[in-house]
Amino acid sequence: MSYLRHILTLVQKDIIAELRTKEMLNSMLIFALLTMVMFNFAFGSGSAMRAVSSGLLWVAFLFAAILGLNRIFVHEKDENCFDGLMLCPIDRSAIYFGKVISSFIFLFLVEIIALPIFTIFFIQESFLSHLWLLIIILILSDVGVSAVGTLLSAISINTKARDLMLPVLFLPVIVPILVAAVKSTELVLMFSSIDAQQFWIDIIVWLRMLAIYDIIFALVGFLTFEYVIEE
Amino acid sequence: MKNKIVRGFLGMASFIGIFISLYMAFFYAPLDKNLGVVQKIFYIHFPVAIVPYFAFLVVFICSIIYLKTRDRKWDKIAYASAEIGLVIDTALLVTGTIFVKPTWGVWWVWEPRLTTSLIMWLLYAGYLMLYYSVDDIERKSRLTAVFGIVAFISVPISFMSIRWWRSAHPLMLAPKNIALDTPMWITTLVFLASMTLFYLYLLGQRIRMINLQEEIQDLKDEIGG
Repeated sequence: MSYLRHILTLVQKDIIAELRTKEMLNSMLIFALLTMVMFNFAFGSGSAMRAVSSGLLWVAFLFAAILGLNRIFVHEKDENCFDGLMLCPIDRSAIYFGKVISSFIFLFLVEIIALPIFTIFFIQESFLSHLWLLIIILILSDVGVSAVGTLLSAISINTKARDLMLPVLFLPVIVPILVAAVKSTELVLMFSSIDAQQFWIDIIVWLRMLAIYDIIFALVGFLTFEYVIEE
Repeated sequence: MKNKIVRGFLGMASFIGIFISLYMAFFYAPLDKNLGVVQKIFYIHFPVAIVPYFAFLVVFICSIIYLKTRDRKWDKIAYASAEIGLVIDTALLVTGTIFVKPTWGVWWVWEPRLTTSLIMWLLYAGYLMLYYSVDDIERKSRLTAVFGIVAFISVPISFMSIRWWRSAHPLMLAPKNIALDTPMWITTLVFLASMTLFYLYLLGQRIRMINLQEEIQDLKDEIGG
């Protein structure tokens, strides 16, 4: 029980720090929107845009996620808060899960704000009937993105190249999440035009893939994180 | 002394082995009825596909052992294996595109096997970049060991990709559908064995080089240069 409280305290600290500056949330949100607008110029509006809309939604979210993940350890490193965290009488993996949860919260918030704007821009008819399914896809993907991203962010903050290193390490690892998220979002967006029974069979395959990936990487992070941050 | 003999043996064996395999590929194995002489590239394409899987498995296992024991020896094996695995993996992608152009008519197709192989290549390229962007040796070993474990996820995905998804790439390692003649399989297996020996030879040489580099660095530090 106290393990859980330790995690929540760390999350609370991150949220308070973020609410004071709001630099991470603002930049992630603006960046996600800018990416969508840029896609509109690159692909033009019309049927081509509709066909790739679920893909570009996730590319925009992933780019925003990289922006946020780059920042989650910067303050700890620059202000020497890492020493403070290391001195805390808590399990090292609690630091990991604390960071995973706070980056999950920031990412999810950005996506929830960006999603309606995306709908207005790119998808003329709404898909509100299956909004809950989209929320599940968002949650499952964000858990994986935060679990992998937090571990790799902690690795890249320790290198010379710092934030240049994260995309190089992070993007290839996250490919299975991107594939599953794009495919399942595409299914939700075209729900009206496909057979309902086939829809459920297909979507469960992708959701299961997301869930398996989340479990694998939460475990890998849990087991290896203490080796990354030790000095 | 013992190491030198082992290295010498591996070097000779892989040299002779690859020579024999090339001879077998061109003169012993029969000409493929449909593909003709193009099919000969398969004999090198198959071993350079399997050996990187093995090399990356070595990275994964040695990374875990390093984190548990903190013995630098394991870190050196992991790094050397990743480097050689990446070079052989590059040979896989190159022979693959050469093979695919006359058989499928294009240089590259975005299908599961090819895509996952490319992602695996990118991950281990990232591994090497990570290795060179940390100065402190102890920290470098720790961070690359963790990434060596994370990157391994791409290996089973790449290996299983043609079993999980519909793929244009033929399935070679299935007991039920052996698409090749017996002489063709013998040639392939001889090539695979000599390629594995070649990998072990390079691994030994690379580890020796790393040790020598460190020795030179120590000597330099000693004289204050």
